[in-house]
Amino acid sequence: MPTFNYHFSDMCRALTLLISLTLCLFVHAQSDSARITRVTSYGVGYANVLDTYLSPLEYTGPELRAMRESIRRVTIAHQPVYRQSLFQLNASILDNPAKTGSEIYLLANWNYTWLKPLLTQSRFSVSAGPQLAANIGMLYNARNSNNPVQAKAYINAAISGMATYQTHLMGHPLHLRYQLSVPLLGLMFSPEYGQAYYELTLSHNWSRNICFTSPHNQPAIRQLISADFPIGKLSLRLSYLFDLQQSEVNKLKSHAWSHTIMLGFIKQFTLTPYFPRQ
Amino acid sequence: MKPSLLPSLLLALTLICSSCIRETTFSDTPEGNFEALWRIIDRQYCFFDYKSAQYGLDWDDIYQRYKQRLSPTMSSRALFQVLSEMLLELRDGHTNLISTAQTSYYTKWYDDYPANYSDTLQRIYLGTDYVTTSSMQYKVFQDNIAYLRYASFSSAISEGGLDAILSDVSLCDGLILDIRNNGGGLLTNSEKIAARFTNEKTIAGYMFHKTGYGHNDFSSPITIYTTPANSRVRWQKPVVVLTNRRTFSSANDFVCRMKQLPNVTIIGDRTGGGSGLPTSSELPNGWSVRFSACPMFDADMQQTEFGIDPDIKVDIQSADFNQGIDTIIEAARQYLHKKIAQ
Repeated sequence: MPTFNYHFSDMCRALTLLISLTLCLFVHAQSDSARITRVTSYGVGYANVLDTYLSPLEYTGPELRAMRESIRRVTIAHQPVYRQSLFQLNASILDNPAKTGSEIYLLANWNYTWLKPLLTQSRFSVSAGPQLAANIGMLYNARNSNNPVQAKAYINAAISGMATYQTHLMGHPLHLRYQLSVPLLGLMFSPEYGQAYYELTLSHNWSRNICFTSPHNQPAIRQLISADFPIGKLSLRLSYLFDLQQSEVNKLKSHAWSHTIMLGFIKQFTLTPYFPRQ
Repeated sequence: MKPSLLPSLLLALTLICSSCIRETTFSDTPEGNFEALWRIIDRQYCFFDYKSAQYGLDWDDIYQRYKQRLSPTMSSRALFQVLSEMLLELRDGHTNLISTAQTSYYTKWYDDYPANYSDTLQRIYLGTDYVTTSSMQYKVFQDNIAYLRYASFSSAISEGGLDAILSDVSLCDGLILDIRNNGGGLLTNSEKIAARFTNEKTIAGYMFHKTGYGHNDFSSPITIYTTPANSRVRWQKPVVVLTNRRTFSSANDFVCRMKQLPNVTIIGDRTGGGSGLPTSSELPNGWSVRFSACPMFDADMQQTEFGIDPDIKVDIQSADFNQGIDTIIEAARQYLHKKIAQ
């Protein structure tokens, strides 16, 4: 896979432009609906993690994940848009194939997405739009001596799409949803191929440690399939998340693939303006 | 972008981004583990060219020679023997192969040389009235020379502890810092102690790292400094650092730093070296491998992988040993008295 070297200041300029454009969209957003849907989900799954800075072997094991999603309809430039904020925490305890070594993987991910309706029918809708994603975490190898940890930190400008379908199952409403997110551009921290973290503390030049990413070196994707349904007075969400995070920068390969089944609790509420008495 | 193009773009990106990034895998067989180990070292080990010039290390030739010793039915123990012997060809004290049953070590960097250190002699010199602070033992000899023993750079030291030690011996005429048989540990401890012996920021050496798979794919050098410990107690009088062949790794780095400082003299035997910062990897069968990955050079951009010569070479003499005398400590005391008299 080819790798490209970009000057650090050029990358910063590109990212600043990207964030500015996104913030412009945010600033022009107006609340259109006070109705907010908030879902808190918890799940278990299976993860496969590779980071060649620590080991050439793929480590596998169980994953725990928590996710909090908030979605609200707003207006941007007189167009209706869904504004989604999604925060995830996932943790995995992993073993190498021979079960002689273990790793701990932790990642926090925050996505802020604007979804513009593209197709709206009575039951079916499709929307898509830009997304900002920030990730921070670490991978710890329990038996490595001078290279026990790899830090994970990257931000992306991504594109996201969502399809929804409303139906009924045994007389109860069922809301099906599929969402996928694909990073387009980003910046990622990475040590160089053989660089020790000790050396990073000595050096004041980190230009080669902040890498420009795009699908050529960060082919990542997140797919979420969910079904919302009521049980009694509760509204629940059953979802499946396929999270494929991977990169190849500074000749270091890494991936974190996971399949997670989640159960969520849906809360819908309306913001009521409060005017204190004069 | 037209809204109708978005789903198409997403579909195309989904297909592109579903391609997997994986590392080349090797089977958990004798041949697979051999290939994996050879490749890890080939790509990441940092002293190929230097050792090729020093003693003719040829990693490709080693591949051919050791591959002949493999057989599909060989036992795990026999495989360990072959792979550890292959690593011994690197002549590197930082290189180990580690299985659940055993660990391989290269020990010729000290086995083939005089020990130049004795626990028995150290007990005689320290006696029972020494003080222990911050993992260091120290006492003041009758000739008003302070003797400070630091056995491992893995042992924790605190700035407060160093202040206490240097304050306590501040009236002494000279200091002997004994790091013989100190096999290394944390480079930060080396930096922390050396910072007590300089008043100026001094170049201690240089560090490189691999930037690619080739034997010569190295970064530009990072300069390593010894920076004075400001607002702390700093030693201003003559210092002798005692070394032997088992002064290794971070202790070797410490000697590298101290050699650049004006009041410091190195006495004893050549150090054991170990100037590569080690890193770890592993094989398909779960064995761990450790090896030098980032080379460090001295302030003159010279390799110290095979050790640093002392300023004054002294060996412990058998006749002295039999009388309970440490020839190296005595040489240091004499040197300090001469230096003080000047």
